Amino acid sequence: MRSMFLIAAATALAAAPALAEGNLVAPPPAPFAKVSELVPLPDFLPGLGTLYVDPASLPAGPFLGYDHDGKLAATIYMIPVSDLNPDKSFAGLAVGAETVTSVDVYYNAGHAGVEVPHEHIVLWHDAGAKERVAK
Amino acid sequence: MGGGIAASLLAARAGLAASPSQITMRGTKDGGRIWFDPVGLYIEPGQTLRFLNQDGGNTHTSTAYSPDIDGRPLRIPADAKGWDSDYLDPEQAFEITLDVPGVYDFYCRPHEHAGMVGRIVVGRPEDHADWEQNAETGDLPPEILAAFPAVADILSMGRVAAPG
Repeated sequence: MRSMFLIAAATALAAAPALAEGNLVAPPPAPFAKVSELVPLPDFLPGLGTLYVDPASLPAGPFLGYDHDGKLAATIYMIPVSDLNPDKSFAGLAVGAETVTSVDVYYNAGHAGVEVPHEHIVLWHDAGAKERVAK
Repeated sequence: MGGGIAASLLAARAGLAASPSQITMRGTKDGGRIWFDPVGLYIEPGQTLRFLNQDGGNTHTSTAYSPDIDGRPLRIPADAKGWDSDYLDPEQAFEITLDVPGVYDFYCRPHEHAGMVGRIVVGRPEDHADWEQNAETGDLPPEILAAFPAVADILSMGRVAAPG
């Protein structure tokens, strides 16, 4: 059963629309914009990196998180807790890169730009990515 | 014996007034919890108070509950002027000086819904005839109203730490 779930998850990721290769290095092409230039947040967020987002995709994203060298570290989705209900779904969200080495899911109380409680769903794109954006 | 106790009480009050006047904004690394530290603070009239954002991954505000600021309920003395720090980046600070005795309730704009509120008590009611507390509830839900520390606790301890 567990192996079937993992196969299904990998298939789902492979089928998710991948953004253009230009987003592997910051800054990604339009319509992505730097989050710190859209809302009052720091340029670099420890734990996520320097974030870019297409404002039209808010709140879910995808947000693209880059390390200090401008390399794509993670794709992040921000799903309001209130939207985790039978009447709402998020389908076909794009991914920043096709390689995903691990996923983190955790609660965030809210912040400028997504000022409601929400879940961060973080797709790390290489094994060292999390450490590179930790601080 | 009586004089010694009175002197101790006066010394304790002086100690409260001389304590560092700073409230920091804090948060866990993943942003799951955010809070003011302390959540309740006593200061003397005319004392400068500093708000300092020590949350490395977030911006915060210190914003007084006042009808003059976004039409919020009155929770500061009627003759006092409210404040709004605007968004503070990590390690950025904002200072205010409160002259009117009474209770000042404040909140963080992006995190009010998560209970990030605080309370400042300026002066003691027995020392100031114009000491005032306004506690309009307005649009504040019960869980936020319950997050303010008790005035009595702030007066007796000088500062109240955030729970947890």
